[in-house]
Amino acid sequence: MDENKVIICRCEDVTLKEIRNAIREGFTTVEEIKRVTRSGMGPCQGKTCGLLIAKEISQMTGKPMEEIELQNIRPPYGGITFEEVTKGTITENDK
Amino acid sequence: MSKIENLELLVVGGGPAGLSAALAAANYGIKVSLAEEREFLGGQLIKQTHRFFGSEKEYAGTRGIDILRKLIDEVNKNKNIEVLLSSRVLGIYEDNVVTILNDHKMKKYYPQSIIFATGASEKFLAFENNDLPGIFGAGAVQTLMNVYGVMPATNVLMIGSGNIGLIVSYQLLQAGVKVAAIVEAAPKIGGYSVHASKLRRLGVPILTSHTIKKAIGKEKVEGAVICELDNDWNEVKDTEQLIKCDAICLSVGLTPLVDLLKQRKVKTTYVSELGGYVPLRDENMETSIKNLFVAGDVSGIEEATAAMIEGQIAGLSVAKRIGKNNKKEIEKRIEEGKNELELLRSGPVGKKIRKGLSKLGLNHGKNYNENFSEEALDISHLMKTGVPSEENLKNKLPSEEKVFDKGPIAISECFQRFPCDPCVKSCPFNAISENGNINNIPYVDFEKCTGCGICVSKCPGLAMFVVHKNFSETTSVVIMPYEFLPRPHKGEIVKVFDREGKYLCDGKVIRILDGKFQDKTAAVSIEIPKRYYLQARNFKVEE
Repeated sequence: MDENKVIICRCEDVTLKEIRNAIREGFTTVEEIKRVTRSGMGPCQGKTCGLLIAKEISQMTGKPMEEIELQNIRPPYGGITFEEVTKGTITENDK
Repeated sequence: MSKIENLELLVVGGGPAGLSAALAAANYGIKVSLAEEREFLGGQLIKQTHRFFGSEKEYAGTRGIDILRKLIDEVNKNKNIEVLLSSRVLGIYEDNVVTILNDHKMKKYYPQSIIFATGASEKFLAFENNDLPGIFGAGAVQTLMNVYGVMPATNVLMIGSGNIGLIVSYQLLQAGVKVAAIVEAAPKIGGYSVHASKLRRLGVPILTSHTIKKAIGKEKVEGAVICELDNDWNEVKDTEQLIKCDAICLSVGLTPLVDLLKQRKVKTTYVSELGGYVPLRDENMETSIKNLFVAGDVSGIEEATAAMIEGQIAGLSVAKRIGKNNKKEIEKRIEEGKNELELLRSGPVGKKIRKGLSKLGLNHGKNYNENFSEEALDISHLMKTGVPSEENLKNKLPSEEKVFDKGPIAISECFQRFPCDPCVKSCPFNAISENGNINNIPYVDFEKCTGCGICVSKCPGLAMFVVHKNFSETTSVVIMPYEFLPRPHKGEIVKVFDREGKYLCDGKVIRILDGKFQDKTAAVSIEIPKRYYLQARNFKVEE
């Protein structure tokens, strides 16, 4: 299998090769791999790649899946514009 | 200061679980706000054109989309439910304040309790060139076809033989798309055998112990290389083959959509049997955080019927917690829901779910009747190929050939134990029985059966046929279910096929029942040469 042609994170175009290299370098949590490769930082926020990366870590380190955590998730869920933020949270009185 | 709106109950997600949860709570006086990301309610139900299995009480035999219409209708009529469409929940914070993007404004809410019914997302698969245009998730294919009426491709290779893979394959065929093959890495078919058998009758190969190696194509998918796998999931040498197709549809499972739960730091754990990372929860669907509940696929991947019952349990639990009246009645209804779930999960198909739930510390298993947890028949051949074995067929046929002499009789080709009973419930002569348990295989009492053919249109698995062996000196008639367009007309000559989709003979259409009662599953009587009465199980109308 040509690891360069297998995409793990579609949003950020991260290949299996890059994920495996990161794990070999010692990044063995999904959160760390997110930070070094940008996997899971795109529009889908890791819905496509998260589980695949967790499985890859499990296979390469021998850690059972039960001991591997997914990446952190923080608000907002999905993209939002500044205008949308301010329109909803600032009332007329604030202006 | 920004305004924060107080809510009694916020339900996140307008699919089967969320709708059921909202209704259950609202019926006991709870003020419910139901937030749905899309501009319409329904979740995945909106795409389900097939009839559902399960018990009559939970809408078995009804098409998913019709179940949805009933639920939406009830929700719209209920004065205690406020529906927020195009409303994506953006965040949930430590103090349980929730932000929702609605009407292009980020609004803040403070709900007393929340039910997360956020459903699932599709799993992705790692193979070479898996980013070529033309590689879809099964959900996307279903959305294109069934929501927007767009044909996704002309010749699809399906990866995965779970119920979604099988159902979407069937829907593709109904839409006039060719399905090149269904590829399954496991040594057996993942979904229900009746769904697989439908596809085999239509000539679709199901390749178990096979996997996709790479997608082929320059600008878009032009084909795929697949290969065989051995018992240890390793590639068998020299088994590579190229399959031509213009789309590859991935149906390799779902995983709970726990993102919002993770924002709120709800405890989750990996349970492969439930599809991935699932929230820890109790039997009343409450998570590790008080007043925060889950229901449906987000709590573990299962069927829509289970999602609806879980939704009811979660909604009732909220009503019991924050409502003022009817506590005893609510408690009773929660118990009923739990019993229904238990029944639904008690067969061999529910084994995996039971194992997964036990990993979450739910002693859900203690009341299961172990008599129903194993298959009644040896269906290994059926689950490998989608075609029943001779043994299986013999088991469901009359023990004596002379029974066929009495006239038309119903033949049930349902061999797997799973909770489903529309055939039993539909028979006006009580000629079909599951021996008191919905997980049993139905058997026809040929003494009572009149061959009326009602069950042919009512079986969600298209596994009921009526066979009239001695229709004439030289011909038999088989009544078959038919869900394709165009419909045949009386007198038309059609091509008749066997259970593997092999051409047998030409047949003549002598009757079509296709009214409101049949609800789009026509019962078509085909006259065939007598020697094929036990083989003829499908036909195609020449266009």
